[in-house]
Amino acid sequence: MAAKTTLRRIMRLFGISAKMDLAWLMRDTMYALAGITADMIGNLSVVSGVLLISVRFGGIGGMSADEVLFMMAYSTLITGLFIVFGASNNIHISRIIGRGQLEHFFIQPLSLKTQLITYGFCPFTGGGNLLVGLILLIIAIQRLGLTLSVGWILALSGHLLTTMVIIVARSYLASTLAFYAPVAAEEISSTVIEGTWLLSTFPLSGMPAALQVPLLTILPEGLMAWFPALSLLGKPPLGWSAAYPMLFALILTLITSYFFRKGLNYYVRKGSNRYVPYGFRR
Amino acid sequence: MWKYLKTAHLAALEKTNGGIIYLFPDVLIKFFTLIPLIFLWRVVMTSGVQVGMSLQQMLSYTVLSALLSDLLAVKTPASGWLSEGVLLKLYGRPLSVLGQLTALTVGGWLPMLLLFSLPMALMAPLLGVRLTPATPYFGISLALCVSLGFAVDVLFACLSIKLRNMSWLIGRIRVAIVSLLSGTVIPIRLLPFGIAEALRYQPFASLGGAPLSLFVGAADAGETLLLQILWNLILWPFALLVFKRSQEGMVSYGG
Repeated sequence: MAAKTTLRRIMRLFGISAKMDLAWLMRDTMYALAGITADMIGNLSVVSGVLLISVRFGGIGGMSADEVLFMMAYSTLITGLFIVFGASNNIHISRIIGRGQLEHFFIQPLSLKTQLITYGFCPFTGGGNLLVGLILLIIAIQRLGLTLSVGWILALSGHLLTTMVIIVARSYLASTLAFYAPVAAEEISSTVIEGTWLLSTFPLSGMPAALQVPLLTILPEGLMAWFPALSLLGKPPLGWSAAYPMLFALILTLITSYFFRKGLNYYVRKGSNRYVPYGFRR
Repeated sequence: MWKYLKTAHLAALEKTNGGIIYLFPDVLIKFFTLIPLIFLWRVVMTSGVQVGMSLQQMLSYTVLSALLSDLLAVKTPASGWLSEGVLLKLYGRPLSVLGQLTALTVGGWLPMLLLFSLPMALMAPLLGVRLTPATPYFGISLALCVSLGFAVDVLFACLSIKLRNMSWLIGRIRVAIVSLLSGTVIPIRLLPFGIAEALRYQPFASLGGAPLSLFVGAADAGETLLLQILWNLILWPFALLVFKRSQEGMVSYGG
């Protein structure tokens, strides 16, 4: 029987995850620091490419180099949030499903949802990119001469949250396949998340609408950084409402919720064949 | 040689064990990344800034880089297999370990070359991209690039052995370094702040960026090939020596 989930309980669970993360940092400092460095280098190599192009060419498709920097800061913040809240495959959920590890959650006296939200939290070893993102954001804001207000900061928070919802929902939607084909679809969340990461850093400004629209709807890479960044700069692309990502996130979440539940029911009935009786994975 | 070919064949088949349908997400992502990238270059190259490359050259560079991505930055399964305990299996076979790794890697390239690279090469003219090499030396440069790629990979594998249990981290850093310094994503000559000149002679520049630059006619064949040969001559003996010394230090946990 799952314990009642309250906000206080969730905060305590986040606290437990943070404590374990800190323990790792303190007990295996070299490895933890290497991990932080690897995460930062990995992200910087992705965003610096686009940034260097924009500097070399004096902007991209009507976006100035500083606006591209702002977009890259947004992208880095998203990477940072992704790592801070998704360190234990809780966003790469197809790995857990595909490896037959989902039932590990069933023996805990907590709802599946609560566990998945809280147990990947790693603010200490995963916060490197968040910090870099904040620094880039401050630099971009200064260079662009943006005036900060409470409303703008709330809008930034709202966009970051929306982007995270889209990433998680899309990963969970694709990961539904792992309920039916655990071996073949074990890494599908990586394909969906990491495989498209480079594409999500492309400023789509100046590209034909025939390309922009699919990248904001069918394959929503434009919603990962480009659309929210331009919305925050007061010029949402294509004349669409700045609230469009929220609408997209809502629809995607509803669709994901339907299919994920369906897959979960299938999994509960059929189980997983990934483990042999003596414990090894097939 | 026959045994290595058979090993490569098995590696190619392994990729499609679950059915080729499971390769389609990767194919689609490659396709949907390449198309916007082509338009991105169209947008920036028409801005009027002179960078010593024409739009046509840039598009050919970008498309070829996507088509040959596996060959331009070689990645064998060595580092991953070390942590998974699979690498040790290669020692039980009557073939050279590095030879097996090479055959397995080359075989693993084939499905994606057939499912993505070949169709895209045929589609390229429709996108206004010309895929004709500007010099016959491109083939030699590509071979040297692949050879150097294997040497670099062996060195990264040795680093994984040395640092134990850090193969994931090393892999992540390696992808970041190689993608930026090899010029496979952005041609090195396009980098600002004098970075291009600074990066020109480092070993990673002799990987993907070298054959791509020759293909589009944006580099001097003599200098490029000379540098590639030089780095091969330096890194291969070094890689073999380090690998020989590292083998006994292999520790695998499996899982």
